[in-house]
Amino acid sequence: MSALVLGAGGFLGLNLVDALIAAGEAPRCGRRRRSNVLALRQRRAALVPADLDIPEELAAAMTGCATVFHAAGHYPRLSRDRQRTMQTGLAQLGNVLDAAAGAGVRRLIYVSSTATVAPAPGRPSDERDVFAAAPGLGVYHDLKWAMESLALAEDRIEVIVACPGACLGPHDLRLGTSAVLVALARGLDPPHPDGVINPVDVRDVATALLRLAEHASPPRRVLLAAGNLRLHELLVALARRYGVAPPSRPLEDAEAVSLADAEEARAEAGGRRPSLSREIVDLVIHGVPLDAGLAARALGMRWRPLTETLDAADGWARRMRLIPERPFTQAAEP
Amino acid sequence: MTTLPIEERIVHMIAQLTPVRPAEIQMQHRLREDLGLDSVCSMELLSMLAEQMDLDVPIEEAMGITTVGEAVAMARRHLAARGA
Repeated sequence: MSALVLGAGGFLGLNLVDALIAAGEAPRCGRRRRSNVLALRQRRAALVPADLDIPEELAAAMTGCATVFHAAGHYPRLSRDRQRTMQTGLAQLGNVLDAAAGAGVRRLIYVSSTATVAPAPGRPSDERDVFAAAPGLGVYHDLKWAMESLALAEDRIEVIVACPGACLGPHDLRLGTSAVLVALARGLDPPHPDGVINPVDVRDVATALLRLAEHASPPRRVLLAAGNLRLHELLVALARRYGVAPPSRPLEDAEAVSLADAEEARAEAGGRRPSLSREIVDLVIHGVPLDAGLAARALGMRWRPLTETLDAADGWARRMRLIPERPFTQAAEP
Repeated sequence: MTTLPIEERIVHMIAQLTPVRPAEIQMQHRLREDLGLDSVCSMELLSMLAEQMDLDVPIEEAMGITTVGEAVAMARRHLAARGA
């Protein structure tokens, strides 16, 4: 497989590069000028310029590639500017699709989000459940829905859409989903909403993407999640694991939205990163239980248990000095 | 730029990432608190340093760097280790 990984230096990207290397592949790793490529250099990976805003770079990076993994879809750090966010996300994805079509790429695996999964009354949602129109649940949901719609409308090349749940595991350098784990381990009590989340080991997501690339006739859209639980339930389990005080009660939905909006306004004005971001609130309060059985049936996926995922995330975070080196009491976890 | 001392090269890199003028950057400055580089920008700086000087810096080591002087010392260590 001659493959290009867009977003190779990111959380999922690094795990995907590791999975490809373990499978005997030598992927090209797309990078922007200012990407942190320390981990990729350590892997002796082939780095190629692939800025999503520069079509010529994308075209050159994809030349000769049969497969492109797109794990660099626009992730707005703040949900403050809807128009700009939508323009950026759609323009970048358009550039990727145009370059892939021009380069004769055989298959593009597009990493979307469970934000695109619509609720299904009376049952867990599965691949059939897509919002018929922009969900209107927040900027992040609308962006991911619009981008996935654009990807699925592509008819020049084969596009496969993967929707991973809340990824946990090693290499979350920007502290996305792992932020809750690190906060609890430090004895903090992060303000949080409550709702259904769909945790999944990032290494399993990488394996699933690899299998989607290799499959003779893969499903067009596949959900990747190891299970369903409530965020507060996970935080309580993490507090037990680290021997710290249990988290405070969850915020009401409206409280959480209001706090996140205020935090994002402060961050936009030049403050530090918001303590609670709007897209996390929206993902949690609108989260739905998922049935990821298709990934098991079509790709042979067997999801790691959550305890194994948390152990891996914890070990990595300790090596990175993100959480203090001290013993913790491991107790029963969901 | 490659003929400049390590200190000057790092100062120039920092100046690309922050509005701080090179003349104002001191070795004891903390990347985050004094120069305004958040954790992502700090890692970008160290990655830039590794690429420009062709250093093989483990990410664990880079995560422990907090000041300009520590970044310089790290670069020197790696250059010495490879006999440069």
